[in-house]
Amino acid sequence: MTKDRTLGEHMSRRGISRRAFGKYCAYLASTMALSPKMAPAMAQGLAAARRQAVIWLSFQECTGCTESFTRSYSPTLEDLIFDFISLDYHHTLQAASGEAAELAREQSMEENKGKYIVVVDGSVPTKDGGVYSMIAGHTNVDILASTIENAFAVVAVGTCAAFGGLPYAKPNPTGAVAISELVGNKPLINIPGCPPVPEAMTGTIAHILAFGSLPELDDKHRPLAFFGESIHDRCYRRSFYERGLFAKSFDDEGARKGWCLYEVGCKGPIAYNTCATTKWNGGTSFPIQSGHTCFACGSPNFWDQGGFYKSLPSRTSSIGTVAGATAAAGVALGAGAALIAANRKKQYSKET
Amino acid sequence: MDLLSFARGPALQFAIGVFCFGVTWRLAILLFTPQARDLTPARKGALPSPIAGGREVFRRMWPEIHPTGSNMFTTINGYVFHLGLAVIVFGFAPHIQLIKSIFGTAWPSLPNFVIHIAGGVTIASLIAALVKRLTSPVLRLISTLDDYISWAVTIAPLITGYMLVGRLIQPYNTALAVHILSFVVLLIWLPFGKLMHAFIVFISRARTGAYLNHRGAQL
Amino acid sequence: MSNLIDRRAPENTTPFVTGLADAVLREIAELLDTLIETGETGIIDLHSLPMTDADRDMLKEGLGEGEVRVDLDVAGPSRIEETGTAGVWWVRHEGADGRIAAELIEVTRIPEILLSHPDDIREGRTRLREHLDEAGETGTEELAE
Repeated sequence: MTKDRTLGEHMSRRGISRRAFGKYCAYLASTMALSPKMAPAMAQGLAAARRQAVIWLSFQECTGCTESFTRSYSPTLEDLIFDFISLDYHHTLQAASGEAAELAREQSMEENKGKYIVVVDGSVPTKDGGVYSMIAGHTNVDILASTIENAFAVVAVGTCAAFGGLPYAKPNPTGAVAISELVGNKPLINIPGCPPVPEAMTGTIAHILAFGSLPELDDKHRPLAFFGESIHDRCYRRSFYERGLFAKSFDDEGARKGWCLYEVGCKGPIAYNTCATTKWNGGTSFPIQSGHTCFACGSPNFWDQGGFYKSLPSRTSSIGTVAGATAAAGVALGAGAALIAANRKKQYSKET
Repeated sequence: MDLLSFARGPALQFAIGVFCFGVTWRLAILLFTPQARDLTPARKGALPSPIAGGREVFRRMWPEIHPTGSNMFTTINGYVFHLGLAVIVFGFAPHIQLIKSIFGTAWPSLPNFVIHIAGGVTIASLIAALVKRLTSPVLRLISTLDDYISWAVTIAPLITGYMLVGRLIQPYNTALAVHILSFVVLLIWLPFGKLMHAFIVFISRARTGAYLNHRGAQL
Repeated sequence: MSNLIDRRAPENTTPFVTGLADAVLREIAELLDTLIETGETGIIDLHSLPMTDADRDMLKEGLGEGEVRVDLDVAGPSRIEETGTAGVWWVRHEGADGRIAAELIEVTRIPEILLSHPDDIREGRTRLREHLDEAGETGTEELAE
């Protein structure tokens, strides 16, 4: 496909009309909670956009994010995104390998200078000179630095890239860091989740294409459209929480009745994500609907928050030892002080 | 480390350490310091001291309004915020979960609307107590910095808790961290100020009861 | 082991009417006012409203059934119906797997997606011209023989 053709032209060659853009943008506006009146303008922007060059870098990751991103059901609405982007470099998906693959990355960077988007999944190890993850003889740190240098924006997908994720979890043997630590002033979007909801990834990229700018982000660089509300706030089981009706274990009466899972460890209140509304597998369900707790996989340090099945207010560090030791110290000091006072008193009464 | 991890981790741990040390230290001093023995014989008809002491503890639980009604406000208001605090601390599901994670026992929680009402009433009651303290010349005169600090650290967790459930601070993580930190401050202050009455109140009442009984006071 | 799994469907948590249908109907009435007075169109995104099935039925009932029903086949099916209230259209976009991608109430004389896009028209004309030219060429060749 020639690079200077607009998406509108490209699609119409394939016999896909502008109505598809209109429909896609109606869908996008709805998922991103934008005003539906913006859809036609978005469709116009999208049709006039060029195919977006995307370079996908995979570092310390499990490829689950790619699995989620490519999760498709049929040639349908959501898959249009794959016609809108040109995925020029992606370990798992590209046909080329070795030298040819690296060449494709360099070529795309050269041709789309200042315009390409770098998607990163996985965290970057920094310990011992970054030797714990290398591609084609280069450390992840170096690859990231050289690839983002002329990028338009960086999109960190998955919790590993956004917040460090599993490699970052204690004791973090490779000195893994989140992408945000390494991008400097480059525009950055975090789309956390383990894996992220596919619509959050495609929707964000489509937003960039349609508007030519980054969507509105929160203080952790997450698009507000998908990460603006907590799972708890949008949970269909919320009314049970309010009424104080809780499942006490995963097989009790409350669990069967679909009561709130707060007491069996649901982290919904601190989980900012779109699962409760967008859901998974084409809107089928999400963990809480399937009877499991949310463990806030899109939150920083979710792995080290004191246990997936411990309720949110539970203590996260041991308190018993501290309490015991300090109480013993208190008794000893207090009793000691009292005894000294008693002694002094005795002596005083002897003297007088 | 983010604010919530700090609040739930080291901050809470430190506060519990200070709390346990402070409470046991003060109690040990109180209980181990030798007291001058009362060598006077007990008055005729005086009860054995433990019974008299126990009786006084229960007797004082019953509110007693002066015929003039002068202590009406302090008595009723005192009951209102103490009971309100008890409902919130022991009735709200997340609090029960915290207690369970420390002591291993739990009990059924109250519906949230009950907690919301109790929270509103308790905050109003504490504010009323402060207004009374500031407007009554006598109370004002005998109030020390301790009273104001104790008031502040008591109402702070209530207000931050209200902001948490009412989503007045966003995001939830920050709100929860702020709420826990306000509780941390309460824990640290409690043993060293007048809030220590939570542990001493029954000891001092029993002792007063035994003493007065010994002296033949009619209660 | 299968007896350990409770296969009962979770209790329906939302069988009730929330009053949202009434609110949406009022908003539609206002949008109709605007359409009549200024010609400006309006859209309501039903997907963003936590409506229950009962709410949806109430809304359908309130608007009534209309005369126009259009099925589109654009990256999955879409159904566009004019309700019994003229100028109020119920637009339902589906992905190819049949789940709803967007559901809108459009207050307009005709939803924009039904209109042919100028770019598509130009593209269509070009293709038709090319076709005619090809046909013309073959036609002359035939005559020449």
